[in-house]
Amino acid sequence: MTRLLEGKRCIVTGGTRGLGLAMCVAFARHGARVALTYHKDDANAEDAKRAVTAAGNEPLVFKGSVADSAHVKSTVAAVVSAFGGIDVLVNNAAITQVLPISLLEESDWDELMDVNVKGVYLYSRAVLRHMIRAKQGSILNIGNFASERIIESPIHYAASKSALRGLTEALAREVGRYAIRVNLLAPGLAEVGMAQGLPQHRQKEYLDKCPLGRLARPGEIAEMAAFLVSDSNTFMTGAKVVLDGGL
Amino acid sequence: MDSYDDILRRGFDEYREFVNPLIAQRAALAGEPIKLVRAEGGVLYDEHGHAVEDFHGTQAFGHRNPYIADAIRRYLDSDAPSWYPARVNPFAGRLAKRLCERAGHYDNAFFACTGSDAVEAALKLARALTKRPRLLGLEGAYHGCTFGSVSLMTKGYLRDPFAPFVEGAEHVPFGDVDALAKALAPGDVAAIVVEPIQGEGGVRELPAPFVEALCELTEKHGTLLVADEVQTALGRTGRGFLATASWPRRPDVVLLAKHLGGGITPISAMLTKRETFLRAYGDHFASGESHNTTMGFNALSCVAALAALDLLTDERIERVGRLGAKLKKGLSDTLARSPLFREARGAGFMQGVALNSPDHPWLSFEHFGFEDLGQKSIISPLVCHRLYRRGFFCFTCGHDWSLFRLQPRFDIPEEKLDAFVVAVGEELDYIEGLG
Repeated sequence: MTRLLEGKRCIVTGGTRGLGLAMCVAFARHGARVALTYHKDDANAEDAKRAVTAAGNEPLVFKGSVADSAHVKSTVAAVVSAFGGIDVLVNNAAITQVLPISLLEESDWDELMDVNVKGVYLYSRAVLRHMIRAKQGSILNIGNFASERIIESPIHYAASKSALRGLTEALAREVGRYAIRVNLLAPGLAEVGMAQGLPQHRQKEYLDKCPLGRLARPGEIAEMAAFLVSDSNTFMTGAKVVLDGGL
Repeated sequence: MDSYDDILRRGFDEYREFVNPLIAQRAALAGEPIKLVRAEGGVLYDEHGHAVEDFHGTQAFGHRNPYIADAIRRYLDSDAPSWYPARVNPFAGRLAKRLCERAGHYDNAFFACTGSDAVEAALKLARALTKRPRLLGLEGAYHGCTFGSVSLMTKGYLRDPFAPFVEGAEHVPFGDVDALAKALAPGDVAAIVVEPIQGEGGVRELPAPFVEALCELTEKHGTLLVADEVQTALGRTGRGFLATASWPRRPDVVLLAKHLGGGITPISAMLTKRETFLRAYGDHFASGESHNTTMGFNALSCVAALAALDLLTDERIERVGRLGAKLKKGLSDTLARSPLFREARGAGFMQGVALNSPDHPWLSFEHFGFEDLGQKSIISPLVCHRLYRRGFFCFTCGHDWSLFRLQPRFDIPEEKLDAFVVAVGEELDYIEGLG
């Protein structure tokens, strides 16, 4: 296997479960040094640490909310101190909540937007300080097909994922001059994450319309993420990569 | 043994994957508190430390009641056998004696694991006793999940998938004395099974005239009167140990379950008269075991039930009655301002709140994947959804989605009930405001 991320210094937010964990494991397998963050579940973090270590390198693990600027600042500083810099940021941490608009409260909206959008802004800003100085780096935001296709989504979740598209394009233009690439990976339903909470008939409807006729495997998405942030992908920025089995 | 920490962390996902994904999804979509990882002071706590007051009624003594837990612990620390190959189980013997003394009138008990098992035992007792073919239930009833119990229930998702049903099972319209008289008149009905207050049917209490007719006509026609008191017994209605104790005639059979095992162990009971049991099964030794279960008489469950009986004091049941009346009045008075409110009904700590449906189509659960609700009301799932967020785990009546039910633990603090009344009022205002 070609190791796409040999020596790369990576931060993956929300890296202890599901797709986030799959990316941490894949990155480690590709030779990266990984720092992962999580918010609440210490036991999951321990499991993730073991899994990533088994895949390559022991990760740095940080607990805190991506919406907490103090946490973000201290985490990035600690990673820079430990790794000597940052080459890759994957903004993966996100929350969701299934609510129709009629029952969606302002606090629900604010909490989700804080994590899914503000967290991306805070982490991107914090790492860019170092990436711009180094005149190299790659930021990958994890979007979701929820913002536009097939399945009804809670509006705050869909809005947050759509916001990442605009954020990605604007940031790519702003920091391109420093050879920093910013892209968006928008997976379809996967065997982990949102699909778990989807009623069977909705999942069937999705699969009926999906030419490949199955859910994405976390490893498939993680491999695409590894490629997107790697030096094998040097001319793509501001792009949205949809990985949905052909919907 | 797997660590509890690990089970409480991964077991919820393992349930979804290996047990029933639909239940797991439904609970998630409806916003029910799922990851409940701790019980303290009778209350549940989720993974984030939020308290949840469980109004399901199986936990009448509060989750992990320390008295029940201690009794179980003491038994496990003893060297008493847990199962008796001859089936002559001293723990079952003691529990039967205590139950019969507490209930009065009855002097024979059969034990099983679930309420459905108890219903099944009653139906078989009735057939064995009377040799008659017909079995009656009431419209709107819920009796459990065995073939006998679903056969007594009327149309709905809890029954329909399992046709054809037990031969001879029929239904009488709820509260219809004339229909009851007509159904019993041929003299070929083995048993009629009724709930004193229908739970899933909408917290509907049998009207007094119907109860009178029921007592009189079943005696007249030699039909076994079976009271399914799975929901209503053991002090739940605040009207004494059994809700049927004040009926004009004590039912021939009463069925108990729910918190009989203290909320920790599964156990149900069928109480009847020794004479009735012997007439049904007393021909010879073999028939004495015609209906039996392997683990229904297990000592551990009997120990838990004995401890539960200790807790079912007259004072505690009186409190249930007194606070239940206050709760009902509080709900009625507080919610009267809401056009969504119809009535609060029930008795003691078995209450239901009947609601009108909001007329605005955007108050929908279609987004939750529940597109196939047919004519079911959306209001109770909506209110429950709101109440979950406030730490109250109410639930919708299975046969009538315009009502939600609450069956609090018996020792719930009075101020918690007051807070609940306020919360329901605020949530109805909120939903009304949305419409």
